[in-house]
Amino acid sequence: MALIRGRDRGTGAQIFTASMADIVFLLIVFFVLTYKVEVDKTQMNLPETWIRKKVPEKAAVISISPPAQGSTIRVSTGEEMALPVSTIEEVITFASTEVAKNPDREFILKADENVQYARVDEVLDALKQSKAKFIFLLSEQLTADQK
Amino acid sequence: MNIKKKEIASEIFTGSMADISFLLIIYFMITSAFSATRGLDFALPEETDTPEIKQEDSIEVHVLPGGGIEVDKKSMPVEGVLPYILEKLQENPDKPVILRTDPEANYGDMISVFDRLRRAPEEWTDDQGNPLYKDVNGKPLTEIKTISIPTQREIENIWQLLGVG
Repeated sequence: MALIRGRDRGTGAQIFTASMADIVFLLIVFFVLTYKVEVDKTQMNLPETWIRKKVPEKAAVISISPPAQGSTIRVSTGEEMALPVSTIEEVITFASTEVAKNPDREFILKADENVQYARVDEVLDALKQSKAKFIFLLSEQLTADQK
Repeated sequence: MNIKKKEIASEIFTGSMADISFLLIIYFMITSAFSATRGLDFALPEETDTPEIKQEDSIEVHVLPGGGIEVDKKSMPVEGVLPYILEKLQENPDKPVILRTDPEANYGDMISVFDRLRRAPEEWTDDQGNPLYKDVNGKPLTEIKTISIPTQREIENIWQLLGVG
């Protein structure tokens, strides 16, 4: 017995797209707000620590690349891209200039965990000679099981 | 003669909005850096208020190449550092801790010891933040007052002053 009379009406399968614009705009707003220009893009394994404090925005950055990349030192004022320096005297000049502009200038030291301490020591000494007061040693979060 | 004007419906064409939005999302996703924005902080002493620290009045933590640690010339695991320092600070809470790292050691080894020293307030207090230990004067002991990280140049200067090496 035929129960359906007349032409069989296909149910149109549709994806509801009205809220798509809202979702897309929310995502855009999120990315615009969280967008940050990274002044030093050197890929490295940062050391892991349990204690971590937020580093100030626009602080000057000194980075030391991994030994495989020659432990190169790069400096940035925090506003423009980091540039490599060839001697430690250039780090002293850079840091002294920054401290002269602002005696409470903060410095971020971004160094690979496998860098020899002698290299880090040179940079710390340069910062001490430049009369820098505040240093942040950039790190990743140590997980609870590693604690 | 009446000329009927055709009304043109004013519309903003939104057909390409989705494409533009997705392009913007892709741009921000690719260029946004999920960078590390946290780290261990420390303040360098100003030269005018740097006290002269004698070796016998301090606790020396020496990080060796390979990650080994010597505290006051005694080898110990990293877990043993804070209990040893606690014992010493209970006798004299003003004792500074000198963190000296061998130039041949890795930066990561030094950071892990420094992090351990900075965790003293967490380990020496209970969940409510109440101090667990007291010094000889009965005052609560919750932190290491001074952690000094001398550079190789400063160490050599001290050695020269003492006529060592």
